[in-house]
Amino acid sequence: MLVTRRAALGALATSPVLAAPALRAQTPVQITFNYPVAVGGPITKVIDGYCADFGKANPGIRVRPVYTGTYQDSITKALTAARGGDAPQMACLLSTDMYTLIDEGVVVAWDELPGADKGWMDSFYPGFMENSRTGGKTWGVPFQRSTIVMYYNKDAFREAGLNPKTPPATWAEQVSFAQKLTKRQGDSVSQWGIQIPGSGFAYWMFQALATQNDVRLMNEAGDRTSFADPKAVEAAQYWLDLSTKHKVHPPGIVEWGTTPRDFFERKVAMMWTTTGNLTNVKNNAPFPFGVAMLPAGRRRGSPTGGGNLYVFKSASPAQREAAVKFARFLTEPERAAQWGIDTGYVAVSPAAFETPKMKEYVAGFPAAAVARDQLPHAVAELSTHENQRVTKALEDALQSVLTGRVQPAAALTKAQEDAERILRSYR
Amino acid sequence: MMHAAAVPPRLRVGLWLETLGAWTLAIAWVAPLLYAIWAAIHPTGYAARFDLLAPLTLDNFTAAWNAAPFPRYMLNSLLLVTFVTGSQFVLGTLAAFVFARSTSRWTGLLFALVLVQLMIMPDMLIIENYRTMRALGLVDTVVGIGLPYVASAFGIFLLRQTFKQVPRELEEAARVEGCSTFGILWRVYVPLARPTYLAYGLTSVAYHWNNFLWPLVITNTVETRPLTVGLAVFASTDQGVDWAIISAATLLTSAPLLLAFLLFQRQFVQSFMRAGIR
Repeated sequence: MLVTRRAALGALATSPVLAAPALRAQTPVQITFNYPVAVGGPITKVIDGYCADFGKANPGIRVRPVYTGTYQDSITKALTAARGGDAPQMACLLSTDMYTLIDEGVVVAWDELPGADKGWMDSFYPGFMENSRTGGKTWGVPFQRSTIVMYYNKDAFREAGLNPKTPPATWAEQVSFAQKLTKRQGDSVSQWGIQIPGSGFAYWMFQALATQNDVRLMNEAGDRTSFADPKAVEAAQYWLDLSTKHKVHPPGIVEWGTTPRDFFERKVAMMWTTTGNLTNVKNNAPFPFGVAMLPAGRRRGSPTGGGNLYVFKSASPAQREAAVKFARFLTEPERAAQWGIDTGYVAVSPAAFETPKMKEYVAGFPAAAVARDQLPHAVAELSTHENQRVTKALEDALQSVLTGRVQPAAALTKAQEDAERILRSYR
Repeated sequence: MMHAAAVPPRLRVGLWLETLGAWTLAIAWVAPLLYAIWAAIHPTGYAARFDLLAPLTLDNFTAAWNAAPFPRYMLNSLLLVTFVTGSQFVLGTLAAFVFARSTSRWTGLLFALVLVQLMIMPDMLIIENYRTMRALGLVDTVVGIGLPYVASAFGIFLLRQTFKQVPRELEEAARVEGCSTFGILWRVYVPLARPTYLAYGLTSVAYHWNNFLWPLVITNTVETRPLTVGLAVFASTDQGVDWAIISAATLLTSAPLLLAFLLFQRQFVQSFMRAGIR
């Protein structure tokens, strides 16, 4: 058979037109859901499973899950696609990306979406909503949220003559416990008392210290910071003193990525890190461990962290409706509980902690409830307009403090000046 | 072979220093690889502890292999580098031939324009490239990943320099024998530039095999994503890094390139010396 090029082109051109009316009648609404993976384990399979289950329960909607790397990669991809006119309909991105997404004008507030009623949006822990609302509107719905807690080695506590049931409750106790837990052999140290990682998320750790010293690092509008506040300087000094004055913390900057491993290998007895690590520690720590709220300075405190769900402006009305349905599906108490158990993230609503599944889990593993109990003391994670630049200014200051190059007051004053310059235009 | 005693003492010291330098560099280069192998074949607990009697295991490879559809990613990576490098060769050869032999007075200016491309970081163009690919309907295709890279200024530059060194007499002789212009290109220039092709091909393949950000942005599904994007599953930032599994996965992904390099090592080294990315 001879097919001329023109005939072939003609056939190509007409066939979709012929097929379209038949298809349109039953084409489900399709939404793309971008999500990052920030914890180990087969998370992509879990999310793909959720999407498939949702499709079964809602035959009119198809959710296409797209795994987009780390949080950092995910925001790059989402913004690039949005600027290129091809945004996903829904994405899980850092709660701190809120101002960036609003400034770029690519997301839509949940209040304006069909089916997102106030009762549902108020069903989450208020601690998580601090980072999801600004200017009276809700921009993000909590999904994989975390906060900082302290993990400690109960065996090491016993060896040091400490009661493994009472973790340090204050800054002073934290230092004295750490002194008892630090094991020295001559000049070398075989076990450090405590590690607060200073790479990767230094601003997050510092924010915990600052909150405990009773200073808020930014305002609700995200256009002012208070890095140079005397209390913030005090907090940085406390962090530095752990290694230089008390010598209970490894000198310099401790790596975020290797801190859990140091903990498993008994190189450190107490570590500060995210609750996202809970499942990891539970599976890998070769000794009994405890999880505790962070010790109090002037007060208790920890920033929240992690990812929220956002809906993009480019979504059609039908897609917006589908996105809300999917978000409600993901945050249903039963599912939120299971997600928390599987990953270690904090289940996002009080109702999730009331499910039989979660109650049973908490009864057998009380550590899972520590993050929840700390939530009343929690504050929003540092987030401002031009978040990446402002955070970078603070991170640079903290690194220079921890490596002993610049005094805390001078370093934080400089960070504050940089932040002022960046944020001035947003007031 | 020169006898060692025949070498003057000062030269011998130089030789010693050179050997020492070469060994130092070689060890520095191979150390991460050796560490990756060490971490990959032992249980996680031994990642930071050196113990000769540590139990051996292949579990890390199994875990890495099962965590992502590696065979599919491998295929995508292969398709991608074949497409990109192949296209770069064709386009680069044609363009370089013109720039090397054309007598038009615009050649210099046009060549300068091509070289300007060397100054621009590809990541700067990511949004513009995305728009273009979207307009062409190539989002989430292997062609879409490769297309922005098919015209390489570096490749054109390198081939032009090589073609310029081909003696005109050879070209004239071929013409006397009745070769067409394409015939001359194919029979005279391309064979003489083989070392350059090999050297450039290697750098290009390595670059595109390792490229991460653009493939991540432009692709959405397992069917199109290359290995690097698949590997990112293991960078679980909230939990810290599991060195054993990430080492196993890294070895799995870099194995094809390493094997190819070991097999063709002699040719590569020779072609680099001759083409001398100079």
